[in-house]
Amino acid sequence: MTENYIRLDAINLHYSAVAFRERSLKTLLMGVTPGRHPKREVHDVHALKNITLQVRQGERVGLIGHNGAGKSTFLKMVAGLYPVSSGSRHVKGVVRSLFDLSLGFEPEATGRENILYRGLLLGLTPKFMRTVAEDIVAFADIGEFIDYPIKTYSAGMQVRLAFAISTMVGGDILLLDEVIGAGDANFMQKAKARITKLIEDSEILILATHDFGSLRDICDRAIVLHHGEIKFDGAVEPAVKEYGRLTGTGK
Amino acid sequence: MKMPYIHGIYEARYFWIHLALSDLRAKWRRSYLGIAWSLLQPLGMTLLLSFVFAKIFKQSIAGYAPYILSGMIVWEFFIATLTLGSMSFVQAEPYIKQYRHPLAIYTLRNTLTNLMVLVMASLSLIGWVLIVMPQNFGWCWIVAPLVFPLAALIAWPVATALAYIGARFRDLTPALALIMQAMWFVSPIYFEASLFRNGGLGVLVDFNPIYHLLEIVRAPLLRGEWPTFVNFAACGFTIVAAFAVAWLIGRKSEDKVIFYL
Repeated sequence: MTENYIRLDAINLHYSAVAFRERSLKTLLMGVTPGRHPKREVHDVHALKNITLQVRQGERVGLIGHNGAGKSTFLKMVAGLYPVSSGSRHVKGVVRSLFDLSLGFEPEATGRENILYRGLLLGLTPKFMRTVAEDIVAFADIGEFIDYPIKTYSAGMQVRLAFAISTMVGGDILLLDEVIGAGDANFMQKAKARITKLIEDSEILILATHDFGSLRDICDRAIVLHHGEIKFDGAVEPAVKEYGRLTGTGK
Repeated sequence: MKMPYIHGIYEARYFWIHLALSDLRAKWRRSYLGIAWSLLQPLGMTLLLSFVFAKIFKQSIAGYAPYILSGMIVWEFFIATLTLGSMSFVQAEPYIKQYRHPLAIYTLRNTLTNLMVLVMASLSLIGWVLIVMPQNFGWCWIVAPLVFPLAALIAWPVATALAYIGARFRDLTPALALIMQAMWFVSPIYFEASLFRNGGLGVLVDFNPIYHLLEIVRAPLLRGEWPTFVNFAACGFTIVAAFAVAWLIGRKSEDKVIFYL
């Protein structure tokens, strides 16, 4: 069996400022007209700074840090969604990520059709999707709505269906942004069991979380991110302490 | 172009094929005539236009109408593929933010959808020609279907290049509408090529890829002739150039698109 791993070497990641700088005729004219304009420079955001890290087969890594510390960026970089500005990223294994579940339905198509499309988005084959479609329908448990267009769904139903599809198949490397809870209490319980199974089946887990309870339950290694830098990498308890010290909440 | 990229497009084939089919279904959902509209729409427009043009240019309506029809359906394909295509990354934002597929699959999806509409629409042209000019039918017709892959291979890379730009500069769509209008005006799409040549504007015909592409349909169907080698060479050259431009823009932009969405 081949070993799965994640190897990051001196990774830097910038969000380019052009993306959110205002580009309009107004700002263009303001720039050329004489007179003083209050200048608000928008700089590139240095979201991840010099990240060097190795994760080996079997590790359960927790990612903690304040809001905006770079946890989600880190996960999306590992998933290959965000390009790195410098450094090298090597990921071996099939990556399965659960970030924003409610994204990406075709509103005009029915629930059943969307099960197929979402499965294909994740790189699965139509043949495989046909074999699991009934399981997904049963798990989502939204009754006759499964044959209605997605745009008739309530928000809760959309999340349930999205969750049922996205958690149907696991991968070698599982990236989780918070342990996702969805729907009513009854569904929550099913969802938790499903996630736990996914985590058990994965070879490598990286979990970004604010919940120290699930961190202690699930992870055997924790990384503290602070303003895009790794401040601590090691056992869970000292990591929680370090996090408390950095944010000034710990005693 | 790098092989892994092309491989990625192939790997995702089920995804973009199904999306294209879904787009086609969505297009005609809850309409009585459904897909028949892709035949009726150009036919109706052609009748209207050729009635007017035939009067102005004093030509027979039966002969001139297929000329307009052939120009219209192919041109509509380009308008739809390029204008929708320029926004196709923006449209695919939820997918792009969840899974890393080669971005060109999202313009391929649009190209494919519009290609299927073009194939449907071309049935009306074939029907018309068979009734009005049956004498044109012959062996040369076998090359006419080549217009489908050729048109797609030109439109896809151009749409992809536009989509990279469109993700960053949202002004592109209105600007593109203007450019397409201008292109239409200087191309022998509704107006006969001879009209340009007689006016000393032969350049607009001979160096116009749209003219050469249209000749692949028009020579056999409307005149019963084989298209010339130059017609095919011009299409081939355009395809190579379009892919080169898309690759040059994509090389720099492919990774960064996600930041602009």
